[in-house]
This record gives sequence, C-alpha cells and structure tokens, in this order.
Amino acid sequence: MDPIQQHFTAITRRHFFGQAGLGLGAAALTSILPQSSAVAAGGLPDLPHFAPKAKRAIYLFMAGAPCQMDMFDYKPKMDDMFDQDLPESIRQGQRLTTMTSGQERFPIAPSKYKFEQYGQGGAWVSELMPYHARMVDDIALLKTVHTEAINHDPAITYICTGHQLPGRASLGAWLSYGLGSMNDSLPSFVVMTPSWTGRQDAQALYNRLWGSGFLPSRYQGVSLRSSGDPVLFLSDPPGVTRDMRRRMLDRLARFNQRTLDRIGDPETQTRIEQAEMAFRMQSSVPELTDISDEPQHVLDMYGPDVKKPGTYAASCLLARRMAERGVRFTQIFHRGWDQHFNVGGDLPKQCQDVDQPSWALIQDLKQRGLLQDTLVVWGGEFGRTIYCQGKLTRENYGRDHHPRCFTIWMAGGGIRSGVVHGETDDFSYNVAENPVHIHDLNATILHCLGIDHRRLSFRFQGLDVRLTGVEEQNPVQAILA
Amino acid sequence: MYPRILVNCLAMTSLFFAASGQAEEAVNFIRDIRPILADNCFTCHGPDEAHREASLRLDLASGAFAEADSGARAIVPGEPDESELLARVASEDEFERMPPPDAGDALTKEEIDLLRRWIEQGAEWEAHWSLSPPKDPEIPQVQDEAWPRNEIDRFILARLEKEELSPNRAVDRETLIRRVTLDLTGLPPSLEEVDAFLRDTAPNAYERVVNRLLESNRYGEHMARYWLDAARYGDTHGLHLDNYREMWPYRDWAITAFNENMHYDQFITEQLAGDLLPDPTLDQLIATGFNRCHVTTSEGGSIEDEVYVRNVVDRVVTVGTVFMGMTFECTRCHDHKYDPLTMNDFYSMFAYFNSIDGKPLDGNRKDHAPVIQVPTTEQQHELTAYESRIGEIEARLKADWPEVDQQQQAWEAEMLARDENSDTTANIGLEDWHFVGPFGDTRRYLFNRKHGPEGKPIDLKQEFTLATEEIVTWQQRPEWVDGQVHRDLPGDMAANFLYRKITSPDEQKVTASLGSDDAVKVYLNGEKVFEKDVSRGVAPDQDILDLPLKQGDNELLMKVMNYGGNTGFYFKVMSATPLIPDEIVSILETAPEDRTAEDKAELQKHYRFKVAAHDELQQAKSRLAKLREQRAELERQIPTTLIWKERKEPRPAFVLRRGEYDQPLEERQRLTPVVLPPMREDWPNDRLGLAMWLVDPAHPLTARVAVNRFWQQLFGTGIVKTAEDFGTRGETPVHPELLDWLSIRFLEEGWDVKALMKRMVMSATYQQSSQMTQEAHVRDPDNRLLARGPRFRLEAEMLRDQALSVSGLLVEQFGGPSVKPPQPDGLWFAVGYSGSNTVRFVPDTDLEKIHRRSVYTFIKRTAPPPQMSTFDSPSREACAMRRERTNTPLQALLLFNDPQYVEAAIGLAQRALREGGETDNSRAEYMFRLCASRYPTAGELQDLINAVQVERESFARREGAAENLLQVASFLEDTVDNANELAAWTMTANLLLNLDEVLTKN
Repeated sequence: MDPIQQHFTAITRRHFFGQAGLGLGAAALTSILPQSSAVAAGGLPDLPHFAPKAKRAIYLFMAGAPCQMDMFDYKPKMDDMFDQDLPESIRQGQRLTTMTSGQERFPIAPSKYKFEQYGQGGAWVSELMPYHARMVDDIALLKTVHTEAINHDPAITYICTGHQLPGRASLGAWLSYGLGSMNDSLPSFVVMTPSWTGRQDAQALYNRLWGSGFLPSRYQGVSLRSSGDPVLFLSDPPGVTRDMRRRMLDRLARFNQRTLDRIGDPETQTRIEQAEMAFRMQSSVPELTDISDEPQHVLDMYGPDVKKPGTYAASCLLARRMAERGVRFTQIFHRGWDQHFNVGGDLPKQCQDVDQPSWALIQDLKQRGLLQDTLVVWGGEFGRTIYCQGKLTRENYGRDHHPRCFTIWMAGGGIRSGVVHGETDDFSYNVAENPVHIHDLNATILHCLGIDHRRLSFRFQGLDVRLTGVEEQNPVQAILA
Repeated sequence: MYPRILVNCLAMTSLFFAASGQAEEAVNFIRDIRPILADNCFTCHGPDEAHREASLRLDLASGAFAEADSGARAIVPGEPDESELLARVASEDEFERMPPPDAGDALTKEEIDLLRRWIEQGAEWEAHWSLSPPKDPEIPQVQDEAWPRNEIDRFILARLEKEELSPNRAVDRETLIRRVTLDLTGLPPSLEEVDAFLRDTAPNAYERVVNRLLESNRYGEHMARYWLDAARYGDTHGLHLDNYREMWPYRDWAITAFNENMHYDQFITEQLAGDLLPDPTLDQLIATGFNRCHVTTSEGGSIEDEVYVRNVVDRVVTVGTVFMGMTFECTRCHDHKYDPLTMNDFYSMFAYFNSIDGKPLDGNRKDHAPVIQVPTTEQQHELTAYESRIGEIEARLKADWPEVDQQQQAWEAEMLARDENSDTTANIGLEDWHFVGPFGDTRRYLFNRKHGPEGKPIDLKQEFTLATEEIVTWQQRPEWVDGQVHRDLPGDMAANFLYRKITSPDEQKVTASLGSDDAVKVYLNGEKVFEKDVSRGVAPDQDILDLPLKQGDNELLMKVMNYGGNTGFYFKVMSATPLIPDEIVSILETAPEDRTAEDKAELQKHYRFKVAAHDELQQAKSRLAKLREQRAELERQIPTTLIWKERKEPRPAFVLRRGEYDQPLEERQRLTPVVLPPMREDWPNDRLGLAMWLVDPAHPLTARVAVNRFWQQLFGTGIVKTAEDFGTRGETPVHPELLDWLSIRFLEEGWDVKALMKRMVMSATYQQSSQMTQEAHVRDPDNRLLARGPRFRLEAEMLRDQALSVSGLLVEQFGGPSVKPPQPDGLWFAVGYSGSNTVRFVPDTDLEKIHRRSVYTFIKRTAPPPQMSTFDSPSREACAMRRERTNTPLQALLLFNDPQYVEAAIGLAQRALREGGETDNSRAEYMFRLCASRYPTAGELQDLINAVQVERESFARREGAAENLLQVASFLEDTVDNANELAAWTMTANLLLNLDEVLTKN
C-alpha cells in the first residue's frame, strides 16, 4: 500500500478507535479493512495493461519431462523404423546430454502406445490419456514448445523463472507482484508438491521455482503441505485456543497502536494488519483444505485418489477450491516424469496419476463457470528423445532429455479451445512449423492475465529484467481466444 | 510495503527540490541528466557497438557534442534550440520523436525541461560519478553548529538545511543502547548493560558502550552474516542433488576476520588470492573459499565445458558486484548497454578466474576439490600425539628384543631344516598386503568401476589421484596379519583397495573367509570372484568364498567400500596352510653374515609380525593396531573446506559468442576493465595483482562500495540505494560528498572497518530519534535524507537470536559445523532428489546446537530454513548485496507459532518467574524490559498484568492445557510444578516477542 495513503488510513482508524474504545477496536478491525480494493490488493498501478481474459491461473507442472511422443505427439512413421538409427539429417549434430552422447547408436524407439483422433479438431491422443482424449475440445495443444537447456535443474529453473541460473523471480512471483492479491485471507500464490507413482528416483524441485528472486519475498509462492500444517506454522501451539490467540492479537494491536501513535511509522500499521490476516488464515486455510463439504459426484470426478491427502488428484481439487477463493496463481509440481528407462513400466503410472484429475479440474471449473476466467497450463520443462536410451525392445525403452520440441496444453480464460498448434517432424525431434519458445509460452500466460510481458519488468543489477528475457518474444496468437 | 523498490532517483530529487522551492538551482549532469540519457538513449546510442544506431554515441561527451552523420549536433552547449537531441525528444511527430515508440516511452515534460535547462546552462559534462576517484570534499558549513557530533553530521545537516528540514531530537538512552547493540552485535543488550549505561553519567558513556561492543565476539558473528550473503555461502552445492558441501571453515574465517578487525584490503586480498600470497597460512587458504562459494552441479548429463563456463561466470559476476558494484553479468553476452564495459572486459576478467586446479562438476561430494583439511587445534594436538605414539611403537617393534631374537634364530634354523616336501599342508604363499585409497565418493557411485585400479592390471608403482586431487600410491602393510580384523582403513564414504600376491605350487581351489565394512568386491587375476553390496560392521568370517588359484603367481585384489563411519576388513585362507613367501625363503637361505641390512630388517619384520608369539611383542602389535585405528577414525572427523588452487599452466580464455560455452571467438589475456585505472606493471597479472588493483587508492569503486554497504547495515539503505549497482543504471548517491569523504577516510585509515563502524554510530545522525511526523514522512518516506534515525524490522537472524537471547536460551559458542535447529517436517523431502544426502532433514536435538546463533544454522540452498527465508534472507544461491524487508502474514504466523519461538517464550516466562521478583508487577516489568530494553509505561504494565491474570484463569479452567503448551520446550524437565503460572506468562512472553517495537530497530 502507498505509505502516505496508509498513514491517513491509520489516522482515520485512530479516530474510529477513539470513539469505539480500544477493546472492541482490534476485533472490529477485520470488518473495516477493505476487502478487495485495488490498493489493499497491492499490485502495480499500471496493471493489467489491458483487459485480462483470465483473472487467475493454475499451472500443472510435470517435473522431469513427459514423453511427448507417447502421449500427444503421434509419430506413425516411426513404427517402421524400429531400432533404425536416427538419421543424421534429423539430429543435425545437435548437442546431447552426456548420458547418451557416448552411445554408439541412436536407435529409434517408436511409441508402443496406440493413438486415436478425438474431438472436432481431430487431435491425436494416446491410450495413456483416455480422459484427456475426452477433453481435447476444451484445450489447446502446443506441440512445438522448445528450450535451450538440456538438463533438469537449468531447464526447470529456466521455464519457471526465465533464466537457467538461480536468482530470478518465478512466474507466480511476477503475477503476485504485478497483479496483487484478490483476497484478504489466503496467499495469492500457492504451490503444491504432490506424490507420484512412477519412477520413484525422481528429479528434485527447488524452492527457487516458486521463489521471488530479486522481488520482495512476500511475492514468493506459499507451499500448501499435505501433512502437518498445510501452511507453515498455521496451528496455534498445543494448549492455546482460538480465543486465547484472539485475546493475544487484541493486546498486540493495543501495544502496536501505542507504538504507531508514538513513532508514526506506517510499517507498524502494516504489521497490525498482517497479524490480523494471519489470524484469518488460521481459519481460512483449514476451511480451504477441508473437503468434507464436497459432494460425492465431484469427488468421483477426480477419481479414487482424491481423498488421499497429498496426491495429484487431491491437489487438483484444492486448486479448484483456491480458484473459488481468489488465489491468483496455483502451481502443482508433479514429479517422476524422468523416463530414462522403463517407459513401459513407469509412464502409464505417471499418466494415470494425472489424467483423470486434470480432466476433472477442467470439468469442475467449467461447471462452476470458472474456466472462462481461469487459465490452466499443463506441461514439463523439456521433451524426450525419439531415440532410445539404454536397452530397446518393442515393449520397453528409455528416452533421454530433448529440448527441441515438447508438448504442453493450455485451457480456459484467454485460450482458443480445440486448437492443435505447431507441427514437429516425423521424429518428434525438430519443429517443422510454428515453434513456441518457452519465453513465448510465458508471454502467452502473461497475456491471458492482461499483462504485456515487455512492460512487466524490474530493475535488477542494472537491467530491466523481464520474465521473458531480452530477446523479442511473442504471445502465441493462434491459440488466443 | 513499497512495491517499486528502486525509486527513480530523478523523481526523488525533484520531489525534494519542489518541496524546498529551489527549482532554479543549477542542473547537475550526474544527478539529473545522465540518468535520463542512460534510461532512454543508451540502448541504441551507448557503449554497445553492435547495437549503435546512426553512429551516434551519447554516453561520451565526444559523441554527444560531435557533428553527426546528418550534420546536426546532438548537443550544442548553451543553445537548446540548435541541439538536435532536444528537438527529437520533444517532437510531436511520432516518426521524429526519440526514443522511437518501440524502444520506449516518450520523455516526460520535467525530463525535457531538465535537459533544456542543462543545455542552457552550458551542458557541463562529467564522467559517470562512480568511475572518477573519490574527491576529498570540503566539510560543509552548517547553520546549526550545535548539532553535529562529527563530520558525517555536517554533510547530513547541510543537506537538511538546504531542504529546510531539521534533524530529529536525540533518541533516549534506552533506545540508543538497544539500537547500537543490535547494530554492532545482532543481539539486544542485557539488562545489566542497559542499567550500566543508564547509570553512567560520563560524557563518553556512549563511546564506552560502542568500544565494548566492537570488542565483543558477537560483533564478528553479526558482521560476517552480511558478508556471507554477498559471498553466497551455503552448506549445500545448490544445484540438482544439492548435496552437503563442507565449507563452514570459510564461514568461521569470515567471523574471525571481523572480530580481529582484519583490515578490508587484507580481507579482499586473502579471499581473492590467499593462495598466491607468499607461504600462505591455513587461514589464508581457507579464505580463498570465497571463489568457491558459487553453486555447482553434478547432474547426470551435464556437459563439463558448459558447467565450467557457468562457474567462472559466477565468480566474475560476484567479484564485480561485491567489490566494485559493477554489473558484469550483462557483458557476458554483449557489450554493456549503459555502462562502459565490454565483452572483451568480461572475458579478460574471466581469464583471472578460470584456472582452478579442479573439475567443474562437483561429483556430489562434500569435498569438491581442491580442498584442504582443517583440523581443530584439539584435533591437531591429537594427531601429533598419535604420530608420536605410533612412531614410538614402530621403533620399539624394530628395536632389540633379545628374547624374541633368540626365538627367531631358533625358528630360522627350524625352517631351514624343514623338508618342504614333507609338509603337505603348506601349499600356498601369501605375500604382504598392499593398500591404496581412500577413493571418496557418494554412495551412489562407490560400487561402480570408476575408481582406482579396479578392472586394470595392477602396477604397484602406479600413482592415483583421489577426488580430493591428492596423489596416492600403493603402500605395503605387513602388519595386516591374516585372521585378524583390521580397522585402520582411511576415509569416510570411500573405497579402499587391498592387493596381495598369492603363489601356488599347483592349480588348486582354496577357500577364504573374509569380513568387510561395508560392501566388498574380490578379484582374482583380474576376474571378479565375489561381490556383496551390504552395510555392516566388520567381523571375522562374514563371507566364505572359493579362490581358484592357478599355478605360480596369482593376484588378489579386494575393494572395500565404506558407506560411512569406520571401515575395515578381515581375511584368512581356511583350506590351506600358508607357505613362507619366496623372498623370505631366499633370505633364510642366505647365510646370516651375507644378508644385507634390508634383508635382515625384512626377515625380522616377517618373523615379528607373522610368526612370533611373544607376549609383550603381541601387546605392542595390538597397541599399534589400535592406535592406527583411532588415528584413522580421527582423520575421518577432520573437516575439509573448499579452497582455490591455481593450475600450473593457466587455461586460455576466449570471448564466447552470446556467452555460449561452445562458441569461442578470439582468445583474451588477463586484463582489468579498460574504463578503470590500469594495473601497475610491477604487479603480478593474476588474482593477487587483481586484489592489489582493487585496493589501490586509485580504484574509484572499491572503497565506496564497501563504505556504502556498511552504511546500509546501519541506516537500512545505502547512500547509494542500489548497493550492487554503481553503474549508470544504479541510483546516484543521495549524499555524494559524504560517500567520498567516508571512502577517503576509510582509505587513509588503512581500511579499518571497526573505525568506520565507530565513526558512523558515533554520529548525531545515527543517534537521532526515529520518530516521524506526518510531514517528515510525506517529504521523505524512505528516510533518505536522514532527518530522523533509522527504524526498520530486524533481519531474520537477529529476530531469532534476539528471542533466544532474551529467553536466556542462547548458546554463545563460536564456529564449527552448521547446526540444524528444528523445522517443520518434510520441507527438504518435498523438493529433494531421492538420491541426495540432504533429502531428509534430521534436526539436531542437543540444546548446545539448537540454541546457537542463526549464523551457524545449516543452509540447504534449494530449501532454506523457513525461519530465515520467511524474513527475506536470501537462499545464498547467488550473491545478494541487500535484503528486502517485507511485512507478511506468514511472518506473523511464524512468530506466533513456530516451536522455536514458542520455546523462547517459555524460556522468557521461566526467566521472569525466576529472576523477575515475586509480584506480577515486577515480573511483567522485568519481562518487558528484557524484550524492549526500556521500562513499560503504566498502561503497558497494566495490560501485561491483566493478560497474565486472564490467561492464568484460562489455563486453570482447562486441565492439561498448560502442560501441553509447555511440552514445546525441549529444555524443560518432564514435570513442572507451576504449569499454569508458567503457561500464562508464556502467552505474555509470546505477545512481547511479537511487538512491533521488539521486532524493530527503533
């Protein structure tokens, strides 16, 4: 909040207290706070840059990099090329990770999974994603997303923060910083890290993926945990009741009000308000995570895992509940997608984890009229190679990291549904048409939320840093509604 | 609080001037004009040659005043109407106007007006302020001669008087001692210290406090913490697996450096180039860890050259930022758009930092080479003691043992007389064990074949390079006798190799029994005959295996893989009786008088170690084995730390196209940035020369950047707000003359940091009250002019340390391995790589560890402790020169409910009950004073007493509630007599530890 304005607010409030008496005052504070005015919400005065199609976003992040050619990017010609070497004309000497650069051969591993066309646009989807097959008309598939990084840490840091090295602000932090909060009792950026059932030796995540980098830390993502306190230190200590905490807060407000009167620092006013918001969160977060009020047919939609805390299904349901409660940005990091080997064993489990719940989330949002102003994004940090890493059979194979093309989907506010954008070559190795750099993808996300990515910047180490880097980037017009 | 952190300095200056009605003042190029040009013009008309439009360059006077291609001149001094620049920025025509619409917004009226006035006034051009050496300014004259206490105040007051503002009154003594104690030690004052100061009426009472604080060892812990943010120190590697990195001796070095008041020039030199100093001390080598603090990786699939470049880039960027306030990062890919730095400059700096004698990938090891062992003084003594005791026994075992020697002669005779053919059981010759190791690695990789002699022919003369870059060779170990457990293998998580020759008269299969700690592989004549991956302690006969021997010499290689802690092995051949080895037989067959001294020693060693059964000798042998085992255990415990070691031949450096590791262009030699004064010819052109160059008085940046950072610690904001950027895009100093004056004094006093800190805290500026009127707030919301004292929230570490301190729980112990106070379960596991050794957080439980100062808290960089990150402390993944200060509900939740803070509240309550007298009144007052360092007002006191009474009743009504609350305290006995009383006071303590006044430096 603008400090000057806040100071005047404080004076008004003192006036109010003067009449109402202090005992009542602090308790009454909650009700006189502005609930959702632009000033109270924070955010930058010049944002949004234009009318946003989406007010909020949910990002379903598949950490480890899903195999695009086994799920969405159908490559029928590969079947006849089983175990043949990837032609040099396709590889073009591009760099490989050192996990396969020493391999003598790069034999093609065709997907073992059956594909069919679905929906009005005729999008191809494999048998691993039957629920996705049912919703291709709700989403836009982008098959030509590409990046430069070829290892997990730099790649996931890159797509989440716009830079391959630590230190930058994450997408969600940019959104909180630029757009502010839409509610006064929950964080505006929430992260969940659910369990997974595929490869257990999973790639790491890093707090920096939802960190604030050079932005103030208030913009960093808040982890919503499935065990212990859902938000860190949410519960009062044992033996301390809500009444007791309320009394403590009232006393605290009295003391701090005296300090404010004596010193006049607006930070003191903010501290009083933040303590009150903390108190509200102690009710609103448990209310958020308590799904006992969800009707059975909704739970059924998300599948059997929805009642197991910490699953992807449970996280998707919570994401919908947060969308309803004005959380600006929710990001779910599902791990276990790093199929260097055992695609046949692990990939079906990973797909099963996410297929139905992702579908359910879209349907649920749609049924509540929330999809039209909620952007949903699904995808990983890069793709995987058509050639096999390790032992190759028709039934099982492994795939190394591949930065040159991968598939993601988007849906909801601002997105033209039913679109398939971009084509890769017959090998799902190079982009044939309509490349989408990860910066373009982030520019698209910002665009849907009413932000011109070129104009959202922060001066850091002498540069006006943007999420989308220094090069020319553009939102993907073809998928915009 | 303030979303726009970097307030545009221009807006600020105009605000002040508008407010003070001095609009007609001379326009200052540096303050007013250069920022406009930098922000709006330099992208296309700046130092970057590749993107320069119309050959026009506006960052240099020569370009700005020259005739352009068009014939026009951008700036004609004194003639605004002839200055093309002004015409273009003011143009209404979209195609004429600069900057073009796709490059940026049009200039504001105020900006255009400033440009016009500046040109009218003669367009005086100065180089960017921070690139000219500091000028010793005149001490300003002030009207109010009574206020200043030292020169700082004259600079501050002169500006205030110009702005028609006046300084605040002096702060009261209670607040003052709290402020200065927090600022110099990071801890609040004790009540004794407060009372002593209140009683001390001497005019220099305050100075005495300051002197005492500067001498306190808590000072270094506090000062080093800021430095560790800049140096990006952490306890893990920071990338991918994010494994443990043993680096804390560097942290302790920094603390000691501040405590001992190492002067800042030395501080820089030891860190940049300690290894290049003549006969560097251990401490100077530890200091070079500064260049190793950057994050590293060993992610599978990483390309070594790419990681190499990233590591070097981080070093260059960090050196540029922390010592020079220059944003080198930009010039990795292109010439700087705003500052006179080029790509050539960047890769010339790169050449100083690329020749480390070690691998770029960290191997996921805690001791990523080059490293150095850092024994504590105590460990060093113990090691020396072991050496001498082992030496004594070794000597004794070689000494004369008449009785044993007699027995040996008898044995020799017996052996010579023996008819070998008649001894049917003696059918195998076992030579001495040889040993090489320890090949340290993570558990993941220990079992594979990349280490040592595995899978290769054995050559006992071969040298091996350990992961620590240490070179080792095979060592003969005759004392490892078969049929005994040997526990003196070295290394913690490591593989050791044991080798011996076995001779056999015939092809035969023998059975051997072995034991190992932990896993083991056995090769016979290059073929693997046994392996077992297991975690266990060593004991006899853990595994039985067959050894198919061929006739003649056989080669046995055993690899023992230790997964942690002690390691050792056991070996015995069961089915055959060993022959005497051939060498011994040939000595025996030589007449005693013909034997060489070596032969005699060899024979004696064989007899004494393998044959003799003499009691006293046996005792000596087992003592030796025991001592060696203990020494191996001690060596495992000696910490290491990452240091710099230069390669013999420097690695060439190249300009990298767009900063890409695989796109080298021309080679670059070591050279400092050309815009800065050159290095002297007689300095070495290496990191040491670079350090000398940085601390040379001619360097315009080093002292200013340092002074500014120390100023920022005390006043919350630097004289240059952008402490990390002194370039044209950074903020212009709000008190440029003061910055220069302080920098020059800093230089003159030999970079004496304590003297600088003292000068600042002794100023009247520092000692002002932080009370703010509405007018003061409106005029200067960020307190840049310092018409009032600093007031801001304590930093993460100070908050926690304060809570521990006032509750009496703080353990004031210096240094050592980082500690893990409790944090909520699962924070590491939620993000950690399954194979990482930091995937699970295991809290410490000893009170000596969990109540240490926060500077000693373990920092896992990919999941830093929430007590730190919630309060804006950086993750230490990258260099951070300043912290934000946010104010969030998550902070309130943490302070309410974090068990560490609740525990502190219980400690504080207990302390008040024990030490605070007998009445509610006296206890409440005592508790309040501990937290706020002042006496409560009557109203405040009454509120506290009321609170205790209400909560006392509340706990009394709810049976067991108080006991539940008190369980949070790890330091309490199981049963507490006065649980309700203690719990009620705990709630009051919890309130006090949340007061704005207590969380804030007032």
